[in-house]
Formats: sequence, structure tokens, C-alpha cells
Amino acid sequence: MVNIRVKFRRGEEVKFISHLDLMKVFERAIRRARLPIAYSQGFNPHPGMVFGLPLSVGVTSEAEYGDFEITDDSLSMDEFMNRLNSQLPAGLEVLAARARQTKQNIMATIAASEYTVVAGAGTDCTERRLKDCIGRYLSQKEIIVKKKTKSGVKDTDIRNMIFDLDFALQPCGGLNIIRLSMLVSAGSKANLKPELLVESLLGILETDYEIDRIHRSKLYVRSGEELLEPMDARVL
Amino acid sequence: MGIKISDGLLKSVEKPSRYTGNEWNSVIKDPESINIRFAFCFPDTYEIGMSHLGMKILYHLLNERSDCYCERVFAPWTDMEGKMRENNIPLYALETKDPIKNFDFAGFTLQYEMSFSNIVNMLDLAGIPILSEERVQGAPFVCAGGPCAYNPEPLADIVDFFMMGEGEEIINEVMDVYGQWKGTGRTRLEFLEEIAKLEGIYVPSFYKFDYNEDGTIKELIPLKPQYPLSIRKRIIKDMDDAYFPEKIVVPYTDIVHDRIMLEIFRGCTRGCRFCQAGFIYRPVREKSPERLLELAKKLEESTGYEEISLTSLSTSDYTGLEPLTTGLLEDMEERKVNLSLPSLRIDSFSLDLMEKAQKVRKSGLTFAPEAGTQRLRDVINKGVAEEDLLKAVSLAFNGGWNGVKLYFMLGLPTETLEDVEGIADLAYKVVDVYRNVPRDRKGKGLNVTVSTATFVPKAFTPFQWEAQDGIANVHEKQMHLKDRIRSKQITYNYHENKLSFMEAVFARGDRRVCKVLIRAWQMGCRFDGWGEHFNYDVWMKAFEECGVDPYFYVTRKREYDEIFPWDHIDVGVSKKYLINENKKAVEGKVTPNCSVYCGGCGAAGFKSGICEKQA
Repeated sequence: MVNIRVKFRRGEEVKFISHLDLMKVFERAIRRARLPIAYSQGFNPHPGMVFGLPLSVGVTSEAEYGDFEITDDSLSMDEFMNRLNSQLPAGLEVLAARARQTKQNIMATIAASEYTVVAGAGTDCTERRLKDCIGRYLSQKEIIVKKKTKSGVKDTDIRNMIFDLDFALQPCGGLNIIRLSMLVSAGSKANLKPELLVESLLGILETDYEIDRIHRSKLYVRSGEELLEPMDARVL
Repeated sequence: MGIKISDGLLKSVEKPSRYTGNEWNSVIKDPESINIRFAFCFPDTYEIGMSHLGMKILYHLLNERSDCYCERVFAPWTDMEGKMRENNIPLYALETKDPIKNFDFAGFTLQYEMSFSNIVNMLDLAGIPILSEERVQGAPFVCAGGPCAYNPEPLADIVDFFMMGEGEEIINEVMDVYGQWKGTGRTRLEFLEEIAKLEGIYVPSFYKFDYNEDGTIKELIPLKPQYPLSIRKRIIKDMDDAYFPEKIVVPYTDIVHDRIMLEIFRGCTRGCRFCQAGFIYRPVREKSPERLLELAKKLEESTGYEEISLTSLSTSDYTGLEPLTTGLLEDMEERKVNLSLPSLRIDSFSLDLMEKAQKVRKSGLTFAPEAGTQRLRDVINKGVAEEDLLKAVSLAFNGGWNGVKLYFMLGLPTETLEDVEGIADLAYKVVDVYRNVPRDRKGKGLNVTVSTATFVPKAFTPFQWEAQDGIANVHEKQMHLKDRIRSKQITYNYHENKLSFMEAVFARGDRRVCKVLIRAWQMGCRFDGWGEHFNYDVWMKAFEECGVDPYFYVTRKREYDEIFPWDHIDVGVSKKYLINENKKAVEGKVTPNCSVYCGGCGAAGFKSGICEKQA
């Protein structure tokens, strides 16, 4: 058995498919590529495949991760990657594949995610006001938002889930285009959706805005105090 | 250039991947280099349409042509339709996102009557005039085919031309003529007159109907002497030579039949008198096991699907079933591909086969006796005897199965209360069989499900003259049956039968119901096949406003000499044969299976398949 961690890109073409459907896409691509994936025992054998944090519908990413288990020790990482890529639909592309020694799978270890949110706002949302707003926003001891959970809507403090927040602003036509970069908690323990942050932040400004696109640029796992990329040799 | 649909819009609708395309094996071409653009329209949701084998075949077949680009179009669900109308987004094709208004053809497949309102809605959403007479030079030609095209008249004012029968050859012939016509400046009429010369093409605007005082048809009148008086359906003579795609589109989102469909034969030898498919798809033509094994391998390689399903009207009647299934199990074991075997008659061979093929739990097996008494089963020519059924059930219980589904119809011609009670009796006999199976052999907890559907008389069947049983009558029968079924081990499922009433209108409707269809659509009808959208009262209001009596089509028994709206369509089975079958039905006389004895239905005229073997 060989364990492989894969980093892949998810582009515009496939951003509206659900997480569950994405797993099926990979399963069928692996079958077409004739890759020797390990199957679980039992009545309904499942392919040995685990994916990192599900991406919200409509979000693109250049930092998605998956762990695969294959049965052929002689298969090189490059060959695995090339054969899989030849069978993936447009918009999905494996960027790197490395052997994994760690017992912890990707799903369990995700801790943080970096997003870029591009939104169009009114011209009343000036650079100065936005800067001021972010400053005030982050200086709060707690930031209470209404967060949807399995058991309903709950007041949640998200201040500790925001590690970093930055912005750029560019006028365009009758709009100001805001580009917000953020590093936030992600994973099963604490997870902050970028839309929620944007909503609570721009709520202060009372400005009209519309999110144009959201992109995940990085995903991190925690290693002690440090945040590391999942392909980092120290993680694997 | 394709339409850009905003992320916000897509995020606000259910299952956005229905509308975004880009699936594996979907065909990408440069529209600039294409002469003919064909929008293959399925008048239902993506999940239903993508499960349809005919669409897969014709989509890839048309795309084999270098002069043609065929793209897929499905009916947007009501949430998406609302957003599209709100934002002035016209109906677009999935591949390029180009509006289909600018295409050369919008081709609809007619799989069931209750999708007709979606056709009107899709044309409107596309910005294509609904009535064929309003389409001018430059508008797409609206064409249609599929089983419901055999009674084309309810769509006569909407569709420019129908393709009768199997589309694999005729659609290419039409494209050839179109390629010659396009760009020459000749009129739409000239194109239609040219294709009307092809066997199987029906142009409704070339004809008018005269009616008798009682509303029945007096005469069909061709507007010019050269228009054919009879339009004969097309068939594929040799199934092994027929085109079948080696790649099919693999959808992202779950669809109804998310698997490889291997079509093993067309037609059915059984001649059940209620079943339209049993007559319109004659004669039976099989693909060889060798060809099927080859196709299965290629499709598995190109799709990565983990399941193959054998497709036909009656799997057990396939003469090569043994070598085919043995070969498939052998080829697919290593690939971990499951084999699913629908419409399989239960006997020891098939149970053994299921055991080998399906890695699923032994839960439910399905039987369709269709009627509760032997008398009525003889009337409908359903060749199932009670002892066969009980024997099969016993075999299944002994093999560990513990769930049985039994399908029946209510409202069949000559049905009495005794026949209805026979349904309950049969269900109880199944329970008795289970009781008599030794405990150590059978699965725990018996579950018998009885389902009844309301019989809809269809064109080109021996029952095309019969009245449909009234809504109230059938309801009474349902209640009576419900009352009779008291066992906790038996569940009874039934539906409100207003939908069957509407289906019956269109199944045997004429040209006059077309305006009702359009009126009902204007009043909001669409997705009538979906319980949550079907609105009987609105339909009734549309009939009233148009001055059309639906009961004329539904509950009226016809005379043998009546001219039907579909009499000018020739499916190969003669009216004389159908009359004879109707008479035999009333007398309770059965007609043997085609594979045993040729009844002389007329399909031998196609000189193909089982008819050739017998000759």
C-alpha cells in the first residue's frame, strides 16, 4: 500500500458541483485512468480516497487536497499525477502528488484557509472608510455573528477565527471593487466561511455590496504552533 | 458568444450544476466552423433527460458529423425559470451557452404526454414563436420524435415536422437535406416539402382535418396532392450495424439512471394489449452478445462508470442472455463493475444470475401481474399465470429475499369488482407462500407492496377504442382494494388519478387539444408530471375556455370504423390486426408470443429481426 497526498486546483468550470459529486468525479477519473486504487472490504467497497475541507458551492480554489491509497508500490508520483490528470474534466487539475507517511488524513488535520473575496461596493465605500472599518473591526474583543449550525442559527464569536485580514480597493465604473484577503479558521473544530466575515465586516459600513467571486488560495494544517501547507515535508 | 450567467444567480438556485455543462465526454466544437446547429431539447429536468438513452445516442450520432454541432437543452426547474425570466436570460444550450433561438433546429424528444407543457414553455423561454405558422425565415425548425410522436396531433400547431420511428438514420437524412437548403435563399416551405419526401417525416401543416357533427374525424385532407397520405415509421434493420456511442456524457450531479445503459434489443414479443411500447417498437431486433460485450468494454473505459444496466422491454426474452451475462460478469469482475438486470422474469436461472451479478442486499423483487384475476390477465394478454408467479415468489423467498413488489393496473377494459379483489387475494397468497418457507431459508420480515396505476388507453394498441375508467370509479376501486388489504405485511400504494385522466387526453387527442395545451401553459401549467406542479383545476379551466370537452377523448368508447387522429401514421401494425386483438380481448382469448407463433400483425413488412427469422 502506498499513501499519496495530492494538491489540486478547482476552477470556474467545476465550481458549482457539490463536494459529494466531486468525490464521484475523482472516483470515475481514477477508474478511467486505471490507477490501482485500494478498495475497502465489505458489501459496498469504497475507494481509498479522503478529501480535505469541502469547498462551498461557487468557490474556486488552487489549494485543494486529497489523500489516496493505492496498491501498487512501483507507481511513481509523477505517473500517478499524469494519468489522473489525463482523465480529469476541464477545471480540475492535480498540481502535485507526494508520498505520505503520516497516519493522519487530510480531513482531520486542516486548521486554516486563506481566501480572496472580490466584491463590488458603492462609491461610498472609500479606501479610507474601509481601512478605518477593518481597523475597528479587528480591534473588537469579540465579533458576534449569526452562524448556521445543524441545530439552527446560533450566535457565535468569530474574532478568534480571524488570523489575518487585508484589503485592496480599485474604482471601476460606478463601483469600487474590493479585494479582501483573509486567513481564517478552517476544519472540523472551527470553520469560518468567508461570506460570513464579509457580511459582518461590511455590515458596519452599511454599504451595498455584492460578492463577485471567492477563491481559496491556501489551506493549512497545524503543527504545534505553526501553520504548514499540507504538502510540506514536515507534515507528510 | 455564450450567455454569461452570474455566480449569484447560480448560487441562488437548486442544483446549479444542472445548468453549467462541461461534463466528461460532453462534445466541444467551434461553432464558427459548423454549418448546422442542433439543440436537442428534453422537456424535463436535467436528471430525467440525462437518463434517457435515445438522447445519448442521437447527441453523439449528430456530433459525429463535421457539419453539425448538437448541444443539449433541458427544462430549467421553476426556480431557474423565474431567475431567467427576471434577468432576461433566454433558454441556452448547455455546451456553448448560446441562445437556442439562433440555432437551425430545436428538436424535442416526446417521452410522455405530461411533458408537453414544458415544450411550450421552453420555446417561449427561448424566444422562439410557439406556433409553427409564426416562425419566419431565420427561426429554428422545431422538430420532434419519440414514442409520443406517434400521435402527433396534440402538438400539430407547434411542431414544424415530426420524425416517426427510430431516429438514427432519418435524422442524418434530414441534416443532409438541410445542408443543401441552408444559405440558398429558398423558403422554409421548400425545405419542409423536400424532407416530406423522406420516409418517416410528417409535416402537420401540410394537412387539415374535417370533422363530423359528433366531433369525430371525417377526413384528413392533404393540402397538395403530393403530400403523402400515410407516413411510415423508420426502423433500424440491423442492430449490430446501427450506430451506438462508445463514449457517453458522465454527469457531475446525480441523475436517475447514472450508469451505462446497454440496449440489448428493441421491441417486445409479448403483445400485452395495454402496452403501447409492445406495438410501436415492433419488430423485435436484438444486438448480438459479441457486439454488446465489445460496447460494454469501450463504454466502461470511456466513462469510468461502476454499473452497467441491460436495457430492453423484457430482459429475460433476450435470446443471448446466458452468454452475454456470463461474458459481462467475467469482463467486469476485475473492474468491480456491477451488473443490473431490470425487467427480469424470476426463475432459477435469473435468481442465480442476480446472486452473481448484484452485490446488493436481497431486499425487493418486482413482479407485474398487472391484473388480479386470470380472466383479466387473459383479456390484456399478460402471459403470467398465478402458479408461475407463486412459484417464482417461492423460489425468491427460499433464496433469502423477503420483499416483493407487485404492480397492477386499475380500470382495465372489462374489469369488475371481482378483478379488483383478486389483487388483494394475490397479495395474500404471496404472504402464504412466505409462511410456508422454512424459517432458516427465508429472510426476516416479509414486506409485500401492492401498487396500482390507472390504465390509460393508448394509440396503436388493441385498446385504442376503449374508454378510460372515470376518475370517481377508479377512486372507488382504490378504496375498495384498500379496504380489502388489512395485513400488516402488505402495503398498498396508489395515486390520485387526475394525472392519468390528462395523460389520456393527450394520448388520443387530436389537433383541437393543441390550443388547450397552449392556454393551460399561459395559465401557469408546466412540469405536469411532477405532483407538486400538476394542477388539474387549471387544466379543466383551460378546456372550458377553449370550448374543448376532455371527456370526448378520455371516457368515450370508439367504434371500429372511427377515423383516428393517428390513422395516417403507419407503425407497421395494421388496424385490422388491432381490431382482431380487441375482439379477442373481450372474449378473453390470448395471443401467443411472437417468438412462438406469428400472428400476422404486419410488422413482417419491415423484413427485419424476429419476423425474418420466422419467415
